[in-house]
Amino acid sequence: MSRVGVGAALRWEVRKLRAQLRARAVLVAAVLAPIPVVFILHGQSRPPKDTLFGRFALENGFALALLVLGFASQWVLPLLTAIVAGDVFASEDQHGTWKTVLTRSTSRGQLFWAKTITACGFAAIVLLLLTASTIVSSLLVVGHQPLTGLSGQTIPAATALKLVTASWATMLPPMLGFTCLALLLSVWSRNPAIGIAAPVVIAMVMQLLGSLGGIDAVRPLLLSTPFEAWHGLLAAPHFTGPLTQGALVCAAWGAVSLLGAYLVLRRRDITGG
Amino acid sequence: MRRILTALVAALVVIGALTAVAVARGGDNSTVTRARLERALPVAFSNLYVKQAHVEGRHDITPKSLHAKAMCDKHGPDVADVGPGGDWVCLMSWKDPQVPMPPEGYGKFELNVHSNDCFTAGGPTKLTGYLEMTAADGRTVTNPVFEFDGCFDPTGDNTPTGNSFPSLLSVTSTTLTPKQDGTVDLGLGCGTGAEGCAGTVTATAGHTSLGTVPYDMKEEATASLPFPTAVPRGTKEVTFTVHPTRGVASSSPSVLPVTFG
Amino acid sequence: MTEQLAVDAVGVTKSFGSLRAVDDITVQVAPGEVYGVLGPNGAGKTTFLRMLFGLIRPDAGTIRVFGRTWEKDGINVLDGVAGFIESPKFYPYLTGRQNLEGLALLDGGDRADRLAEVLEVVDLTDRAGDKVSGYSYGMRQRLGVAASLLRDPRLLVLDEPANGLDPAGIRDMRALVKRLAGSGLTVLLSSHHMDEVEEICDNVTIMRTGSVAFHGTIEKLRTMAPDPGYALSTGDDVRAREVAGRHPSVAVTTDPDAELVVTGPRDDVAAYVADLVRSGIRLDGFIATRTPLESLFFMLTDAESSVEGAA
Ligand SMILES: Nc1ncnc2c1ncn2[C@@H]1O[C@H](COP(=O)(O)OP(=O)(O)OP(=O)(O)O)[C@@H](O)[C@H]1O
Ligand SMILES: [Mg+2]
Repeated sequence: MSRVGVGAALRWEVRKLRAQLRARAVLVAAVLAPIPVVFILHGQSRPPKDTLFGRFALENGFALALLVLGFASQWVLPLLTAIVAGDVFASEDQHGTWKTVLTRSTSRGQLFWAKTITACGFAAIVLLLLTASTIVSSLLVVGHQPLTGLSGQTIPAATALKLVTASWATMLPPMLGFTCLALLLSVWSRNPAIGIAAPVVIAMVMQLLGSLGGIDAVRPLLLSTPFEAWHGLLAAPHFTGPLTQGALVCAAWGAVSLLGAYLVLRRRDITGG
Repeated sequence: MRRILTALVAALVVIGALTAVAVARGGDNSTVTRARLERALPVAFSNLYVKQAHVEGRHDITPKSLHAKAMCDKHGPDVADVGPGGDWVCLMSWKDPQVPMPPEGYGKFELNVHSNDCFTAGGPTKLTGYLEMTAADGRTVTNPVFEFDGCFDPTGDNTPTGNSFPSLLSVTSTTLTPKQDGTVDLGLGCGTGAEGCAGTVTATAGHTSLGTVPYDMKEEATASLPFPTAVPRGTKEVTFTVHPTRGVASSSPSVLPVTFG
Repeated sequence: MTEQLAVDAVGVTKSFGSLRAVDDITVQVAPGEVYGVLGPNGAGKTTFLRMLFGLIRPDAGTIRVFGRTWEKDGINVLDGVAGFIESPKFYPYLTGRQNLEGLALLDGGDRADRLAEVLEVVDLTDRAGDKVSGYSYGMRQRLGVAASLLRDPRLLVLDEPANGLDPAGIRDMRALVKRLAGSGLTVLLSSHHMDEVEEICDNVTIMRTGSVAFHGTIEKLRTMAPDPGYALSTGDDVRAREVAGRHPSVAVTTDPDAELVVTGPRDDVAAYVADLVRSGIRLDGFIATRTPLESLFFMLTDAESSVEGAA
């Protein structure tokens, strides 16, 4: 019997994912959901001023795409990734299939990495679809007028498109951070419901903590803070300090979560199923 | 079930620990500081003010030519000027040949500064206009400087700007009602500014001098100034003249009507 | 050099909290052997087999499979090993074939031809395109066997493979295991049923609450078996007892239902029955109650009793 690498396990995980209704539904939602959201926001009589870029959202497609971004980063992105990442380990417990896959020629470590890569890849694809769908529908529905930036500067449409796309792209590190957190919760709780719901709750609690004054020392350490690091791209001169710091924070959360998940999975006794 | 409970308890412990660390380290290391606001606000304002001018069809100013300068303060003199909140006030001066600054030399902006290093600023409508404005082509459009958002670099320059504006002393009373003994009190308010307000107020009722009374107030404080001499019966109005030694005040005297109780 | 053992588990111990599920047991299976692990519910059979598969970690002892250990060889221990623990589990949202294809991927190969073969062996070819969520218990059990055969194992480990099957299913499963054993495969099988083990296995370990109560060949077990017992109903029980006095090697007792029970060596019991008939006592029934091995199994695994020469 030949030795099996992570690649074969990865192919198997992707195949399973493609057969799962839930995963397909998330991808479809990522493409379709922004369209009615854009129409509804555009149909408002008053702009939603209390969110950044909200005051221009009715007359500027770039602003609308950024408004949707601010909204999505609160809990939608953690939820979208957790639907797969929070389930990918726990579903083996749910179906009792750990003993089925672990009695083949693939080690726990290989399965661990295959599942982790699958979940992270899924997160990236969901983000890509959501980004494309939001930007395209915003520009088609509202238009691509020059954008007023966060230093009051006027950003020409071509630059604005780049900056808005880049802003959406900066969601990737925190989204992967939440993916790793969801993986840890999935391994640890052995319960898909917890694996999916807990990251969302944690995201909202972090968001709340981050918005409180007086606990500023913790704010940079929260996994939700990098979701706001894109602001710097739309200031003039633009600043990337929060992006770099956010990437480090996400890497730290991700590494700790993955290490925890790996150790738990390596050590646990598979008694169920 | 036990796993779920453990997970919940662990999550609570982590959150509690983080909060405890935060509280222990105190709120002083907020990235929201006076210096950063004083740098960010004029930039955003200048850009938008010029945009407003362009909408009006004016092309005689640029963001540079405005030389906008701000001084910011959080919640009066007794509160450190650091941290997010809706109680920030920024005084800002700029040079627009067609819109002169008021005598005190600045306009007052109220800011809601968020913990994510962004702010929403509302301008002084006398200088910057209302929510809607008329464009050069006659359309009604949203005024870009009536209310605007901005963000600043949380790691940006935090050395003091040295910007300073004097407090503006204003008369808060609108009418005078003499007390039993015939004397009157004058309500004063000292606005946000560098060092508060001090000076004297001289009151005259017709040809009768009601006396000259000194005042000394911190910024963002109010005071009631009693005048020693009774107002003669039948007086219709009293004129107050302010001579500030610290802070500024309107150079034209205030004339308040008297109503006898 | 002696032949390498297929399974060489020595001094294996596993506790769950304060409960010793497996207590210092030693199981050695030679290649080509069909080996039974027999025990009542909770004896620790499944726990032992899980340790063999690396699903749980023993607290003490070593397990070698074809000379390899988990510590040194990791997942390579399972090269040439296949089987299932308790009832086999699959992904319900995939079809039987998709499940097997995935497991083949995890085995390191995409083997469409072999897949069709094993589906044929377990008679699931027609239903392989249906989602597993719609499978009956017996079909899943058979899919489990197919999934094991897909690995072309040298050692097949089956945990109560006939559990939950209907009589025909049990018969087919036993026939399949016998056929596989006949082809030279080493089989390690756990079971509740003495008759199953007796029918299929060469060697047997009987477990009782975590420890070994008997270990040896089926032949050795047979020699240890007690005399067979028979339920006897006669026209005159009193005289039947008197006749028994003439047969010292035969014991006649009364069971709780006041029926007579005869035990003794087969020939002596036959002589006694012949004597009854000669004495003119009417014989209404003469039925074997338990097989000797079954009696032995209960004696070995009842907590109180102990058997000379066991273990
Ligand atoms: N995860 C676990 N946690 C606690 N105790 C366990 C666990 N798994 C098994 N046990 C206990 O270990 C003992 C042995 O169980 P095991 O499943 O190995 O028995 P078995 O011989 O396979 O029984 P059966 O014939 O019912 O399958 C039992 O007392 C069982 O309750
Ligand atoms: Mg069992």
